[in-house]
Amino acid sequence: MSIDYALLFRVLLPEALLTATALLVIGVDLVWGRGRSRGSRLQMAVGAGLLGVGVAALVIWQDGAQGSVWAGNLRVDLLAVAVRLGVLGLTGLSLLGLTGSRVSDQPAEYVALALLATVGFLQMAVAQNLLLAFLALELASLSLYVLAGYDRSRPESAEAALKYFLQGGVSAALLLFGFSLLYGMTGRIDLTGISMALAVHSDGSLSAVAVGMVLAAFGFKAAVAPFHPWAPDVYQGAPPMSAALIASAAKLAGLAFFWRIFWSGLGPLAATAPLLGGAGGGWVPVLASMCAVSLLLGNLVALAQASIRRLLAYSAIGHAGALGLGLLSAGEVGPGPLFYYAATYGLATVGAFACLAILDRAGDGDRIEDLAGLRRRSPLVAACFAVCVLSLAGIPPLAGFFGKFVVFAAAFRIDGLGHPAGWVALLAIAMSAVSLYYYLILLKQAWIAEDVRERGPIEVPPAAALGLLLAAGLLVVLGAFPSLLLGRF
Amino acid sequence: MTIGLNDYITLSVILFALGFLGVLLRKNTLVIYMCLELMLVASTLALVAFSRFHGMLDGNVFVFFILTVAAAEVAVGLAIIVALFRRRQTVQVDELNALRD
Repeated sequence: MSIDYALLFRVLLPEALLTATALLVIGVDLVWGRGRSRGSRLQMAVGAGLLGVGVAALVIWQDGAQGSVWAGNLRVDLLAVAVRLGVLGLTGLSLLGLTGSRVSDQPAEYVALALLATVGFLQMAVAQNLLLAFLALELASLSLYVLAGYDRSRPESAEAALKYFLQGGVSAALLLFGFSLLYGMTGRIDLTGISMALAVHSDGSLSAVAVGMVLAAFGFKAAVAPFHPWAPDVYQGAPPMSAALIASAAKLAGLAFFWRIFWSGLGPLAATAPLLGGAGGGWVPVLASMCAVSLLLGNLVALAQASIRRLLAYSAIGHAGALGLGLLSAGEVGPGPLFYYAATYGLATVGAFACLAILDRAGDGDRIEDLAGLRRRSPLVAACFAVCVLSLAGIPPLAGFFGKFVVFAAAFRIDGLGHPAGWVALLAIAMSAVSLYYYLILLKQAWIAEDVRERGPIEVPPAAALGLLLAAGLLVVLGAFPSLLLGRF
Repeated sequence: MTIGLNDYITLSVILFALGFLGVLLRKNTLVIYMCLELMLVASTLALVAFSRFHGMLDGNVFVFFILTVAAAEVAVGLAIIVALFRRRQTVQVDELNALRD
C-alpha cells in the first residue's frame, strides 16, 4: 500500500497553517506585545488569526474535493470541504466578534486556543478512522474547555468550564469505550472496514452497548436531550464568544463527525441494533425519540427563561432536536440539508452572541429586560440581532427558514409518516410555532420597549460591526438564494 | 484455568462501571477526575485485550494516544479546578450552583 505523502501534506496544509498561526500569535505577543495596551495586543492577535483562517480557507477552496487520502484514513469529499469552509467562516466571525467583547488579560492565548480548536474541527470533518476521529474530537474539546473558563474575573466562567469539562469527559470516555467495543467486534478501526464487518456479522448485545455509547456522545456534542444539561450553564457562564464557538463551529463539525460515524461506520446497524430492550429496532428509532424529547424540552423550557443566554441555550437544545432529525434523514437524502441547517444555524448563533458580547462590554446584564431601548442605543446591533433571532425562529426569507424547510422535507421524503422521522418532523413544525413566541419576546424588548434607565448609546468597534454585518448579510443572502449551498450537494 | 478475552473484557467493564458510578455519585471534583481517568483506562484495557485477540497492533497504538490525551485532559482539568478554587474556595460540586435556572 503506497501512500502519496505530497497529497497528504496538501490535505493537512490548512491544519498546519492554523497551528503555525497559533504559535506565531503567542510568540509575537510575547515579544512585540510587551508594554503595549491590551487593546492593541487583541487587534494584533485577531488580525493574525483572521489571516491564518483566511489562507487556510483559500487552500481548502482551491483544492476542492479529493476523495480518499492516506489509504482511506481521511475522506475529503464535498461534505468535508463544505464543513471545513463553514467552520473556518464561523471561527473568523467569532474572532471578529471578539473585538467587540470585553478584553481579557491574555488576548493572544485566547486566539491561539480558538485556532487550535479549529484545527480539531477541521480534522473532525475529514477523519475516517476511529483513532483520528477521537484525537480530533479531543483536541477541539480540550481547547473549548479552556475557552469556556477563560474569563478569570468572573466565578461563573470557571464553574461553566468545570461543568462542561466533567460532562465532556464522561461523554469522551463513553465514546472511547464504544469505539473499543466496535474494534473488538470488527477488528478494524477504519469506518469503511467497520461498516463492511458489521454488515456481515454483528454481535447483538455488544453492538447495542457500543451504539448506545456513541449515541450518548453524540447527544453531548450536539446538546440533544437527555445529554444537554451542560448547555444552559456554558452558554450563560462562558465568555460570549467562547459560547458562540461552542454553539456554532463545534456543532457543525460535530454533526459532520457523527454523520460519518453513524452512516459510514454504523450504517448496517441503522435498523438492526437491538437497542430498546432487544426489540431490534436499530439506532434510528432511539435517535428519533432523543430528538423528539429534545424538541419538546428545549422549546418549552425556553419559554420560562429570564436570562437571554439561557433562553438561547434552551432554544439551541430545541434546534439540536431538528439537527438530529437532519442526521437521521441524511442516510437517505444525503448530508446537504443537514449541512445547510447546521451552517446557517451557526451563523445566526454567532451573530446573536456577538451582539450579546457587545452588550456585555457595555456593562449591561443578561436579563431580557436589559435589551430594552436597544433600537435607540445602537440601531446597528438591534438590526443585526433582529436578523439573527428571526433566522433562528425560521421566518422567511431568512436562511433559518430554508434550513428548517429542507430538513423537514427530507425527513418526510424517507417514508412520510411511515418512518419515525416523519412524526418527529411534525413535532418540530409545531415546536417552531412555540419558539416564535420566545424569540419575539426578545425582539419586542429590543425594538419596542423603552429603556427606563435611560442608558447612553453603545459603542461598537468597527471590526465587530463588520462581523455583525457579515453574519446578518450572509443570513439574508443564503436565505434568498439557498441553492448557493444546497445546489452543490 | 486460563484467562481469556472474556475475563479481560469483564474486568474492563467493571472498571468502567466503577468510574462511571464514581462520576455520578462523588461530590469532590478531584475524586471525580480520578473516576474519569478510570473510565479512560478501562477502555485502554479493552483495546489491548481486543488487539491481542485479533493479533493486530491497531488497538495497542490507540492506547498510546489515549494515554497522551488523558494526560492533556488532566492538565486542562486541574487548571480549571485551580481557577475555580481561587474564586470560590471550594472543590465540592454541590456548592457550585451559581449557574441555574
